[in-house]
Amino acid sequence: MRWRLMLAWLLAGSAGTVWAGQLVVRVSDTNGRAVGDAVVTLTSATAATGVAAAPVTRYVDQRDETFIPYVQVVRPGDRVVFRNSDGTRHHVYSFSDAKAFELLLHPGESSPPLTLDKAGLVAIGCNIHDHMIAYLLVSPARARVTPSQGQVVFAHLPSGKYTVTVWHPQLRPGQAPPSEVKILATEADAQRADFALSLIPDPRELSDREHVDY
Amino acid sequence: MKPRLRHLALACVAALPLAGHAQDFSLHGYLDGRLVAAPAERSWVEGGLGKTRYGGGSTELRFGGAALVGTAQLTPSLLALAGVQLQEGDRAGIDVLEAYLRWRPVSTTRWRGSVQAGAFFPPASLENDAIGWTSPWTLTPSAINSWVGEELRAVGAEARIERRGDVATWDLRGALFQRNDPAGNLLAIRGWSLSDRTYGLGSRLREPDAYVRDEGDQPPMRYDPFRRIGQHWGNYVQLNWRARGRGRLSLMHYDNHAATDAWAPYAGGHRLYAWRTRFWSLGASADSGPVTWIAQAMDGDTIIEPAPGRVFTTRYRAAFLLAGWNRGAWRPALRLDHFSTRELPQAPGQHAGEHGNALTAALNWRPHDWLRLTFETLYMDSTRTVRADYGLPTRTRRTQVQLSARLFY
Repeated sequence: MRWRLMLAWLLAGSAGTVWAGQLVVRVSDTNGRAVGDAVVTLTSATAATGVAAAPVTRYVDQRDETFIPYVQVVRPGDRVVFRNSDGTRHHVYSFSDAKAFELLLHPGESSPPLTLDKAGLVAIGCNIHDHMIAYLLVSPARARVTPSQGQVVFAHLPSGKYTVTVWHPQLRPGQAPPSEVKILATEADAQRADFALSLIPDPRELSDREHVDY
Repeated sequence: MKPRLRHLALACVAALPLAGHAQDFSLHGYLDGRLVAAPAERSWVEGGLGKTRYGGGSTELRFGGAALVGTAQLTPSLLALAGVQLQEGDRAGIDVLEAYLRWRPVSTTRWRGSVQAGAFFPPASLENDAIGWTSPWTLTPSAINSWVGEELRAVGAEARIERRGDVATWDLRGALFQRNDPAGNLLAIRGWSLSDRTYGLGSRLREPDAYVRDEGDQPPMRYDPFRRIGQHWGNYVQLNWRARGRGRLSLMHYDNHAATDAWAPYAGGHRLYAWRTRFWSLGASADSGPVTWIAQAMDGDTIIEPAPGRVFTTRYRAAFLLAGWNRGAWRPALRLDHFSTRELPQAPGQHAGEHGNALTAALNWRPHDWLRLTFETLYMDSTRTVRADYGLPTRTRRTQVQLSARLFY
């Protein structure tokens, strides 16, 4: 059994320790560069992938006319607080089906907690600064956001058939998020999924000293 | 002070107490210096018949212009914006590029509406989206947008409605305006040019000295393109489609609705005539990999009736295709322009007007956020029939080379 695991580890090319029931997902762009801010979601018809947890409060900061973080996964029932760390006002809003709201935040102000109870994608903007944009993905499934290294690890997974779906805000609008099916034969199995995304330019980079956004 | 300018000044004064409480101010600007190798013929900016911004044949350092754009977010929905510039030319000075108030309340639906009032550029350009109405791709804008920067400005109000979809955003905007009645004069008497000498409210355009002498007047003769002549309201309507990762399509119709026989007394006992100017403009931009494509076509006419029954029409057309390569700090761009005018009525068998092409190659380098260096070569090949009246060859081929350093604040 151990030699099989060793073989799986070698085939996967993983440099890290292999844990039981593990899925390593690596996201890159078409040039092979690691992609951060991608949401990797794991769903399964055979294994439970939902995460039962007490609601928590998440934060979205505004600093240098940028929402931080750009992309965040929250569970239905979680709360989100918007915090304005800038010296200017922000008029945070969303017209998304999952949550429509508007909050006017003065410098240094934090919003009251906003409960996100409906699954879906909540695109957030600032009505004063149109170049500010962020996303909250409200999902009951097991989901992670890739760091700048582009890799997330789902560990301690029960055996089963999993669909790995990757979403990124810079996928071409209207394009279906790519997905891949992976089977963990046993609870000691380890699999790897690699995604190469074709991304459009980051809309946040369109504002600079030459381009006054108003 | 003219009554309308007085009203504008009063509105600004009225907004000052609001501005005093506003927390959101911004001030940005640019300053441009450049080394220019100019074509030999005197530029139209200096009263000549040359079609580029610079002429005279010398190679020298020039002041390329400076602009300051200030914004104040007076309330979460109300924005005040003003842009002023300092330009070099035969009549240097500070003028107002645009100044307006915009009310855009937040919307938590897919629809978002806004209105703005003041003086602003008709949104004809897909190139000039940078500070002070400059282009990030080239120093010299296309023939179409050179003209927009010279003669078009709306003083009035614009309403806009956007529908923000998952894939694309549609927006429809329409404006009613005044004070753009002489617009079109330049295309009729000078024809097209390629120049980044944008004119603001308060500046004056110079007519070619040769034509002025023909009329028995003494050059230099200048006129204000942003004047109201008569009571008519002009309008424009624009429909836009924008999709992230795909591009943009833009269809626009402009008509200043000037009365063709209207004129206003002007300095020196002259008459400043209104020109009925209207055009359609279709623009598109798209990205294919690292390359951005921008294309625009314009078709219109301008009509004047200086005496009853004497109607002169100038048909004008122009188009360009620009390819810009986004290579991080380096950004090469290449643009091909085609332009023409046709004067009506024409004697049988005679073609009065012009036609020409231009090729602009620019290499932009942005080593820092605050610095842009641009090397640009502009080659223009044009034929203008009226030059024969002054003993000049109708066809000219000119090259203008510039190396610019632009600082951003």
